[in-house]
Amino acid sequence: MQIRETLRSTYPVILLAVVVAICVTILTGVGNITLPRIEAMEKQKVEKMLSEMFPRMTGYTFEDEIYSVYSGDDTVGHAFIAIGKGYGGNINILVGLEDEQTIKGIIVVSHTETPGLGSLITEDFFTDQFTSVTIDDMALRRDGGQIDAITGATISSRAVAEAVRVTAWDKVELLRGNEAGT
Amino acid sequence: MSTSKKEFVKGLITTNPVFVLLLGLCPALAVSTSIDNALGMTLAVFIVLLGANVIIAAIRGIVPSITRIPIFIVIIATLVTLVNLLFNAFLPDLHATLGIYLPLVVVNCIVLGRAEAFASKNPMVRSIADALGMTVGFMIAMLMISFIRQMLGTGEMSVFGFHIFSLPVLIDSPMAIFILPPGGFLIMGLLLALLRWKGVLKL
Amino acid sequence: MNELIVIFLSMALINNIILVRYLGLCPFLGVSRELKPAFSMGMAVTFVMFVASLSTWVINHYILIPFDIQYMFIIVFILVIASLVQVIELFIKKTNFSLYSAFGIYLPLITTNCAVLGVTIINMMESYTLLGSLVSALGSGLGFTLVMTMMAGIREKLELADAPRSMKGAPIALITATLLGLAFFGFSGIV
Repeated sequence: MQIRETLRSTYPVILLAVVVAICVTILTGVGNITLPRIEAMEKQKVEKMLSEMFPRMTGYTFEDEIYSVYSGDDTVGHAFIAIGKGYGGNINILVGLEDEQTIKGIIVVSHTETPGLGSLITEDFFTDQFTSVTIDDMALRRDGGQIDAITGATISSRAVAEAVRVTAWDKVELLRGNEAGT
Repeated sequence: MSTSKKEFVKGLITTNPVFVLLLGLCPALAVSTSIDNALGMTLAVFIVLLGANVIIAAIRGIVPSITRIPIFIVIIATLVTLVNLLFNAFLPDLHATLGIYLPLVVVNCIVLGRAEAFASKNPMVRSIADALGMTVGFMIAMLMISFIRQMLGTGEMSVFGFHIFSLPVLIDSPMAIFILPPGGFLIMGLLLALLRWKGVLKL
Repeated sequence: MNELIVIFLSMALINNIILVRYLGLCPFLGVSRELKPAFSMGMAVTFVMFVASLSTWVINHYILIPFDIQYMFIIVFILVIASLVQVIELFIKKTNFSLYSAFGIYLPLITTNCAVLGVTIINMMESYTLLGSLVSALGSGLGFTLVMTMMAGIREKLELADAPRSMKGAPIALITATLLGLAFFGFSGIV
């Protein structure tokens, strides 16, 4: 009688625990199938963008938040993610470095800018301006640089230019430091 | 009309989840910027709603009153996590567009509301009909809202990459406001008023 | 410090959780008819958001990430929030009855509220630090309260206005939200 009483009062909790256990098991199972695939797709995305930027790429490594791109045994360039403070939030930009002075090009990875205005920063007509430009010239024309802003989207355009220039300088410093260290 | 069919039809108009019960507004407005997104969200809600109604109707006999809400929440949260994982792995573009609104389906009033109000008290077949009805009702509402927002906000109608038609003036200078948050509120409000005025919805 | 101010302003005004992120719309339409309930709801939400952000951050960083089970965050977060709200409600009921009658009744409504869960998810996705998450919660809650009280103030007056029959209630409230949203657009770009 005693046992039945305790069972009856703890039944709700036991049932809850059983339900949780079943759910967690199912999720772990599905997780094991999907998570590796998700990771692989992420890697593929990065690879695709890097090879778009460095057509002769055969391989790359990722260390200290900088991608080093190789073609055979030679280092063809470097790349890194710059984060700009845009109008609607963060803008993630993949920046390619040709050498210590020059930007190879940029790809806008993600943003939340205004559709029709700031969102145009992903278009070729804007990003092509960043191909083979010296880091110092990475600023809007009105700020002393070489980049034409998008009409009606000055803040978005400036955010991209500033992020690219400032982060590029940081990464060049880092690379120089690494070289000096080795 | 059999009771199951009645439940299904109920979800379409008389108790349309979005326009009548005003449930699930968060995703309805956030994701209705284009038809593709609307359909994607409907798919997610469908899987979770159907799954939840089926499971809860099945175990409704053995669930004690005290812990029923936590158990329902765990079941719904598991379903949502499943959908989140599966979409991330197999429909990555949709997953990226839906963003935080996909996990938020777990607190979507439609899902928990139907589970609590209906599936926990009704047999399996009727619960399935209810889930289907609510989903179709949700889908109709979402399609109406996103059709208007996409047309005015981008000037063209394209579904899953298939271009259907463009509007002459709007295609060159679309009214972007409609795919921005204030536009969502506006379309929803006007649509609601229109449907009431036309007698489709009771006042 | 700069970072924290940006987070606060972003959550409260620029990306206001109701008008821009579409979170917490159920209470927004349901509880914003009168000034006092609207304000109390806002305060309750702010409080729960703060405590929820704290607990979910701790759980995320000390349990989910180390054990590589971050994908289970939905279940964990919602259970944490639901239990938290229960505990808070009981606690307030027992200790400070006047506080309870002020906003206690709104607490159960907050459990299944996209606002609280939404903010904790945003904190996780933006990888805010503990301080950042707390500031984000405060900002979101205060922004929520601001919009709720503005809405309530307007709706109280709207009750007396002569709106067409099909517009009364939700439609006119939504259109008011449109105008509020447009006004809040002005906050973009202040950081």
